[in-house]
Amino acid sequence: MSSLVTETDAGRPTGRSALSRLLGRTPIWFLVPAIGLLAGFAVYPLIVLVRMSLSDVGPSNIVGEWSFIGLQNFVEVLSDDEIWLALARTIGVALVLLASNFVFGFVGASILSVGGRVTETVLAVMVFVWALPPIVSGSAFKFLLDDSGPINSALDAVGIAPVSWLSSPDLALWSVTGIIAWAALPFSVLVIRGALMAVPVDLVEAAALDGAGYWRTQFRIVLPQLRPTLGILAILTVLYAFKSFDFFYVTTKGGPGTTTNTLPVLAYNTAFSGFEMSTGATIALVSMLAVAIFAVPYIRAVRREEQP
Amino acid sequence: MISRPLRTTFRVLALVLGLAYLLPLLWIVLTSFKTKQQVLTEPNGIFFTPTLDTYANVVGDGIGAILTSLQIAIAVTLITLLIAVPAAAALARRVSVGWNRVITVFLAALLVLQMVPQPMTVIPLYSVLASWKLLGTLGGLIVADIALLLPFAIMLLRPFALAIPSALYEAAELDGAGRWRTFRSLTVPLLSNGILTVVCIVFISAWGEFVYAINFLPQGIVLPVSGLLAQQNSTYSAEWNSLMALAVITSLPLLLLFVVSQRRLIAGLSLGAVK
Repeated sequence: MSSLVTETDAGRPTGRSALSRLLGRTPIWFLVPAIGLLAGFAVYPLIVLVRMSLSDVGPSNIVGEWSFIGLQNFVEVLSDDEIWLALARTIGVALVLLASNFVFGFVGASILSVGGRVTETVLAVMVFVWALPPIVSGSAFKFLLDDSGPINSALDAVGIAPVSWLSSPDLALWSVTGIIAWAALPFSVLVIRGALMAVPVDLVEAAALDGAGYWRTQFRIVLPQLRPTLGILAILTVLYAFKSFDFFYVTTKGGPGTTTNTLPVLAYNTAFSGFEMSTGATIALVSMLAVAIFAVPYIRAVRREEQP
Repeated sequence: MISRPLRTTFRVLALVLGLAYLLPLLWIVLTSFKTKQQVLTEPNGIFFTPTLDTYANVVGDGIGAILTSLQIAIAVTLITLLIAVPAAAALARRVSVGWNRVITVFLAALLVLQMVPQPMTVIPLYSVLASWKLLGTLGGLIVADIALLLPFAIMLLRPFALAIPSALYEAAELDGAGRWRTFRSLTVPLLSNGILTVVCIVFISAWGEFVYAINFLPQGIVLPVSGLLAQQNSTYSAEWNSLMALAVITSLPLLLLFVVSQRRLIAGLSLGAVK
């Protein structure tokens, strides 16, 4: 690497293209390993995913020849009710997460932005839970919400009939959504709290002098200041809903029946339980389109934050 | 500014919030110290004679899984770090207009890659690993994990790299230090806080990853702890005490890291998390 630098510094040998001269002055070599690995194992798989969706791939020919069948998979997938139901469920999950992350997130952040040992400890516990592998917190809730688990036996003790949290077709989706909301809240509190602390103190004090109460100040004065942060948080939350898979896999695997099949769960189950690789790939691609719609404003927002 | 009664209300609310997160954790730990019988008859019993039998059984059966997890997590963390630190450093240096453009494109690509849901990558990776003869090997799983975590690691490190003043780089250049030398003796030491954060996060994520593990490792081979946990979870006659003991073992690395560097971890996460 150092030879490259000296070569460039030593008055540009003739015969080198403009491109390599340009690259010689940049830290491109520091980026090459990352580019190589991501090209091979992150970008290339996405290309394979597209090829898969345009071919007929099952367990027998996963290694071997794939016959090109055009858009047939897409026609099949989009004319099946299952994907639209899954889309509706995913949107439902996203809406609940948005409400929870904003309402509980803002209130929680307000509560925890008052200093002290209690708040610090609570924050630490929440961050710990957030960093916990989803397989762990998912397993914990599978136990807690089991038909004869601790929560139901606690309900029983106060005379309430047990609830089939994870085994009732009507309730399971919302129970899992509740678990996801619980697991996602610490992140939202952390982000909103960070933004709260950055709101100018004199702004808040001026409102207090005008006689505005705490919550009035929080909602009228502070909340509007948080708009950029909340914008990014909203997009991240929706993306999270479209990505959420671990908790479903651990707790219900899409069941009972197909009642908790959100888009990622449906794609996974189709490919790895039904062994219809190309149908799974097609569902995956359709749901990535939904993700892409939110990706554009997110990337814009992040870039805006970057530019001072 | 905040009145005294409000402050008290806040403290109470904070405690409620804390309990909502602490109680489930407590129940995992409590259950892991019970016998199977105790869990079935009294899932909420707080007073019981704790037993280490469950742990003895789980660790005895799962020592292979723990070793596999360690191998995977250490390899993934090391290699991710080796690739991510130089990349983050390069992406934080605005040396020319052309390079700035490269940075923008690369960052956008990283953001997109981070947004791709894991079930969407597991489907094609299955065939990619199969055709490269990596399916069913630890190496294949490790590479897949690295590709999964690398974008996040670079994005997490970059703010730390941006905080290094460019005057330092100019001084190093004046002193005649080459790129590699500058990287080794200037960038890496100044990034140590960021590197610590990334090591923690990547290690925990690789240790807890199970979707790739259960699909890319062949049936019958020793799964990592997380994969074992996922597998046990799907059997219907769940032995909750063993399951919770496995869950505790799966969260041990995080617990250790938290005890050692909780403050720095929270600060580092707050810096990098929003991106």
